[in-house]
Amino acid sequence: MTRFPKGLRVGALALCLLSLPVCLPAQSPPETDSQAVVTLLKAQHSQLAGDLRRIQREIAALRADLDRPGLQEIFAGIGYILGLCGVAAFVAARRKE
Amino acid sequence: MHISDGVLPTAVAVGCYGLSAALAVWSARRSRSRELPKLAVMTAAFFVASLVHVPFGPTSVHLIIPGLTGALLGPSAFLSIGLGLLLQCLLFQFGGLTALGANALMMGLPALACGWFFQAFKGVPPLRQSIVGGLAGALGTVLAALVLAGLLMTGGEDFAGVAKIALLAHVPVILIEALVSGFTVGFLARVKPELLKPAYLRGA
Repeated sequence: MTRFPKGLRVGALALCLLSLPVCLPAQSPPETDSQAVVTLLKAQHSQLAGDLRRIQREIAALRADLDRPGLQEIFAGIGYILGLCGVAAFVAARRKE
Repeated sequence: MHISDGVLPTAVAVGCYGLSAALAVWSARRSRSRELPKLAVMTAAFFVASLVHVPFGPTSVHLIIPGLTGALLGPSAFLSIGLGLLLQCLLFQFGGLTALGANALMMGLPALACGWFFQAFKGVPPLRQSIVGGLAGALGTVLAALVLAGLLMTGGEDFAGVAKIALLAHVPVILIEALVSGFTVGFLARVKPELLKPAYLRGA
């Protein structure tokens, strides 16, 4: 006790007193603050739900897009048709000889 | 207008396969080798036509063109439509592989009927050919809807009810199909009339 000067002890006490009001509300929040937190959480929840719905819609649209035949399939089909008819023409021509 | 897998009873699906195969063989025997390029082009057109979506009111409809195929190909139309449907089924998952026979009958029989109708009534003047071609296009879709109703009747549906729904749902398709077929036939009648004469009428 005698080793610390008086000014330092008073300063430490003042520091403790100053820090007290800062940590006190966090340990036991009053009624109004908890309501604010609940409303904040509700707002966040509704926003997240909206985002999720949007993403689900986008996934559905993407799936519909994937179901539609692409350019590759169309040209593959045309190629098959022309190729098969070419084979048929080849066979028909050979038979005629 | 495609029948999916598992809609028809197995016996009907197998029967449709048999009938389609017989008709395809008949169709192939009636085809002439000099007609093959035309067959190829019309098959490709039929294959792609179902991807042409025309916006109509709130929905969009797509062409089927069995009438036009029949008018241009005559008896070969069945072969063409069978091949087109097979590839649509394999590549686009339109209809199912087990229902392919039924689908071929549904589009192929109207095509044959339209081919006969067009050749019987087309006359000579391009305008008349165009009008008859348009009628054949409309007839093709109407007949396809009726065959669809007939096939679904074997699955226990009520013929009149299904026919009414199928026809009502396809009213825009019928109109657009008639327009497209009419314009195409009219154009061909003026530009390349020999395309509209099937080989069996030319004695080839």
